[in-house]
Amino acid sequence: MNWDQLELHPRIIAAVRRAGLRSLPDVLSVSGPDLQRLTSLSGSDVQQLLTAAANACRRHPPITALELHRRSESGLRLGVGCPVLDQLLRGGLPVGGITELSGQSGAGKTQLALQICLSVQYPTQYGGLDSGAVYICTEDSFPIRRLQQLIRNQSLLRSDVPPTLISSLQFSDHVYVEHAADLDSLQVCLSRRVPLLLARGLVRLLVVDSLAALFRSEFQAADWLERTKQLITFSSTLRHLSLEFTTPVLCINQVTDVFSSDDSLSQLSSSVSPALGLVWANQVMVRLMMRRLQATVTHGDQSSALRRLEVVLAPHLAQGGRDLAVWREGVRGVMSS
Amino acid sequence: MQRSVFSLSLSPSVKRKLVNAGFQFTNDLLHLKPVQLSKEATLSQLEALEVLQAVRKEGGGGDAGASSSLTALDLLQKEQDLRRIVTFSSQLDAALGGGLPVGKTTEICGAPGVGKTQLCLQLAVDVQVPQCFGGIGGQVVYIDTEGSFLLQRVVDIATAAVQHCSLLVEDDEQRVAMTTFTVETILSNTFLVRCHDYVELLAELHLLPDFLSDHPRVRLLVIDSVAFPFRQHFEDLSQRTRLLNGLAQQLIAMATSHNMAVLMTNQMTTRLRGGQSQQVPALGETWGHAPTSRLLLHWAGSRRLAAIFKSPDHTGATVQYQITSEGFRDIDQSEQTHTVQSTASQRDTGH
Repeated sequence: MNWDQLELHPRIIAAVRRAGLRSLPDVLSVSGPDLQRLTSLSGSDVQQLLTAAANACRRHPPITALELHRRSESGLRLGVGCPVLDQLLRGGLPVGGITELSGQSGAGKTQLALQICLSVQYPTQYGGLDSGAVYICTEDSFPIRRLQQLIRNQSLLRSDVPPTLISSLQFSDHVYVEHAADLDSLQVCLSRRVPLLLARGLVRLLVVDSLAALFRSEFQAADWLERTKQLITFSSTLRHLSLEFTTPVLCINQVTDVFSSDDSLSQLSSSVSPALGLVWANQVMVRLMMRRLQATVTHGDQSSALRRLEVVLAPHLAQGGRDLAVWREGVRGVMSS
Repeated sequence: MQRSVFSLSLSPSVKRKLVNAGFQFTNDLLHLKPVQLSKEATLSQLEALEVLQAVRKEGGGGDAGASSSLTALDLLQKEQDLRRIVTFSSQLDAALGGGLPVGKTTEICGAPGVGKTQLCLQLAVDVQVPQCFGGIGGQVVYIDTEGSFLLQRVVDIATAAVQHCSLLVEDDEQRVAMTTFTVETILSNTFLVRCHDYVELLAELHLLPDFLSDHPRVRLLVIDSVAFPFRQHFEDLSQRTRLLNGLAQQLIAMATSHNMAVLMTNQMTTRLRGGQSQQVPALGETWGHAPTSRLLLHWAGSRRLAAIFKSPDHTGATVQYQITSEGFRDIDQSEQTHTVQSTASQRDTGH
């Protein structure tokens, strides 16, 4: 820490150096009287030191919500490429915070995630963020054929966008795929490669498919303490990336069966709940759940199982859901009659 | 009343020198000049001056706030003068004794998605309701550590509150008040701070007293959530406890000296006890002493319940609430009677 950057009397700075305080967090974590004892400075000097340290740590002074409202970035959302689902999500995924999408296998989670990787590439007036996406696979290999199919059929899905614009976008050039087979490689990916892509402005969407796979396979039941620690570290890294670069983070999660009938914490009527427990749930801002329904719907020559996307928790969304189906061109909401 | 010099906020070495020189109580120091004191107690001139300033400021007894002793009757009157912030849920208001108390600290605990942030946002709007509508017409400082302060939602709640009040207008005073109670003014009276880790939170709280002196109308400080920054990057749990204790003291001091309500949220964690897991508020046992009252929001099936489980002046009560598009509200009348009975039976069997 370079103490000279603080606007303080040289006498105070010398005392801080002598006391062996290394960083601003060190100063702020010590109580006033302790700081006095460590540095043998007078009370008013210590107050000056604390104020200077606090000012150096603060990113910006309090702003009113009105100022925030007037900034263009405030209401920014990432559309998912379907007006019915965007309406449910009030515009799409929020740009600061983790959105979790959970569901049983075959519910259509990856389908929606792939579609969002494409919708992020549209300009903002069409619900995108005008940038690419990074997709971290941990379970399977990346479904590249399906992505190609989605790209070919974009003009079918996005009839709201002029066809010339769609044909001018090089979709597959802007989806960066990472494979992480274990926690260590995920760690490397999240701490080195992803920040680089984000800082260069090449991507503005991070998809992790899925965090649960790694955490559920690498740890034994007895290692729960270690697992919790790791989980907190990873989720705070994800959150940090999201807030630092105002980038939406979409995490796909598996589900776990719930056996207890009297679960006071979960309001879900279904018998499954998202995996990874309370530790993870505390870190999530928006929690969506997808499930497969019994019915099937047809559309032209295609037929698809009906699925339902539900908002489980979100600070800005009402609880509710929409039916949807997966077609050749992508995921689309089904207007219930 | 005599006060020991050890109770002054001075550095330990200075206090030791004072006691060694025979100064036991603040009264012994009152008549001294700095030069005399520095000679007698072998203190530097500057230290001597600080000692005497501390003695004069903190006086013969008690802190700045209680410099003249108060009787319990005075205190009662003082407390009755403090208005409460209504929550827009009449049942919760009743359970809290008229709303969120100003000058006290309150903690909301609950599982993700149960409505902690919703109640915070609701109160951030409610504190601004003009006095003629039964509000206190204050401002709010909102410290967001989780990134869950979404403007869209604040606008929803503010719009509903403005609409609610506009329906209540009866006399000219209220009509005049409504011209300045709009969504726009609500947003301009909401000061938002985003903190990404505990260092930023500590820094912000250190600078907050100055901000509050510049903005005397602030009546509510929201921290959503205290738990989040303190549940990561901590290897040393004793340091965490120490920091949290310091934080709690700072918050209580701010609440009393600036006459505002402090509202913070806490996460839940799982505790294993004798092979059984149990949901308890995070941050440990010591932190539980910090807030004046604690409110637990939890699910019971598909119903949302708010239980007061620590409060100096109310016995525990449980009420049912709902989160609507307008904000935090009572449930509809018809369902209520059923709820109260079932929660009563649940509390008996729950422990």
